Amino acid sequence: MPNALRAGFLAIAAILGLGPLAAGAQTLAAVKARGTLNCGVSQGLAGFSDRNAQGAWAGFDVDFCKAVAAAVLGDPTKVAYVPLSATERFEALRAGRIDVLSRNSTWTLEREVALGLMFAGITFHDGQGFMVLRRPNVTSALELDGVTVCVQAGTTSADNVADYFRANSMKLQLVTLPTAADVVQALDGGRCDAMTTDQSGLYAERLKLARPGEAVILPDVISKEPLGPVTRADDLQWFNVVKWVNFALVNAEELGISASTADEAMRSAKPDVRRFVGAEGDLGVKLGLDAAFAIRAVRAVGNYAEVYERNVGARSRLGIPRGLNQLWSMGGILYAPPMR
Amino acid sequence: MNRSSFIRRLSLVAAAGFASLFATSAALAQAAPPAAMRETMAIGDEPGRVSTEEVIIREGAFARQLVFFRSTEPVGTLVIHTSERFLYLVLGNNRALRYGIGVGREGFTWSGLVRVSRKAEWPDWTPPPEMIERQPYLPRFMAGGPGNPMGSRALYLGSTIYRIHGTNQPETIGHAVSSGCFRLANGDVIDLYSRVQTGTKVVIRHAATL
Repeated sequence: MPNALRAGFLAIAAILGLGPLAAGAQTLAAVKARGTLNCGVSQGLAGFSDRNAQGAWAGFDVDFCKAVAAAVLGDPTKVAYVPLSATERFEALRAGRIDVLSRNSTWTLEREVALGLMFAGITFHDGQGFMVLRRPNVTSALELDGVTVCVQAGTTSADNVADYFRANSMKLQLVTLPTAADVVQALDGGRCDAMTTDQSGLYAERLKLARPGEAVILPDVISKEPLGPVTRADDLQWFNVVKWVNFALVNAEELGISASTADEAMRSAKPDVRRFVGAEGDLGVKLGLDAAFAIRAVRAVGNYAEVYERNVGARSRLGIPRGLNQLWSMGGILYAPPMR
Repeated sequence: MNRSSFIRRLSLVAAAGFASLFATSAALAQAAPPAAMRETMAIGDEPGRVSTEEVIIREGAFARQLVFFRSTEPVGTLVIHTSERFLYLVLGNNRALRYGIGVGREGFTWSGLVRVSRKAEWPDWTPPPEMIERQPYLPRFMAGGPGNPMGSRALYLGSTIYRIHGTNQPETIGHAVSSGCFRLANGDVIDLYSRVQTGTKVVIRHAATL
């Protein structure tokens, strides 16, 4: 960039308050000084963030808080969980009540631009899908022509399903019901042939059916609901820390590094693995952490696959297939930039 | 498994000829790390134990189900991810039929591309000597049938000793188990058998090695 242009750019940036490092945005230093990570979670969503029988927080989003705490503070238990409703979550982050929001929140343009927030990545690719009963031969949402579909009132799901049927020249009989519980009951009772909501929701609702084994959740995803952790937009350093903890968990899976193979990984001769565990290079230091940040996160919660399977996948009650959330090389679209 | 017992065991399938020797020695080079094959279920084979004959896993993640699956493999290909304990039948259009499997230690010793070379209903079972060493009470030969650990169907893979088979221990699905290659519940392997022809491509993939 020519100098004159650069000077102009900097002047404009200064006017807009977009300085390279806004003063007072020292989240990393604040977290280290405090010794705990304030992590915003949901008020209770099975598999993602919920209190278990012992009253401790557990779930997919909770494990991400633990991973960040392990990477930054060296201890996954140093997390103060702040349960937040859907309406207060972003304001809590903007006001500094929490350091990071890890609460099944969809990444959209408006949330970043209008609210001054940044999504640090996608931890879970959700999207709207269909669950059908008593129609064993249906294998695709395109075969739902003319069926009765139940949906909860006041959700974007109702609009999406209408769009989808119209786009594929299918006849839709939509039944709108006030609550999610009504929708499941209507499916179970035979009032509708199919129900629609986000995929993660379908797997949770399926457990409430009289005979869950007879319901089929179709693999089609008709909308984009990318869920991920959020930070304030004025703190690039902290944003990078959160972003690379997420990428580290995904890269760990790809490299074959898991909680149970962490010791083995420390002795590996592979350059990728050596950089990951901090035996080579100073990637962690460049982030403002230390060389072992990534392997500490993996030791605390496991790699992406372990976090997924334990909370929402094959080892959990929900049993959500990896689907889109499988590695790009294994049938999904999960892709993390390399750590080097 | 050590090399000598592996070779002894190969002699047992000498009918498969020298080709298998090459295939298997190449396979040893690609063996998965010990961590991936750590047994999660220490369970011996139980010849003679009759499971309910054609068990189909109906609930949970290991039930047969349609899933999203991006693949450049042609429709009909079988893809086995040993670390996940799943077998995928590629259906095209970004989807696959997924089956839960149990992976025995033989299942972790080989990865790559093979083809289904033979199909058999209620296959006989001849435990290899190294298994007899571990479990001396095993019979030397067992005719196919409901109590046979090979289960209701078998798909033989190339000229190797590996196969996709049923089991009389359906509770082992989803685990790393002591022996066998890729086992499905009997009802599920019958379903798979009906969808797969001889000559079908089978891709076996392990998690990355450290």
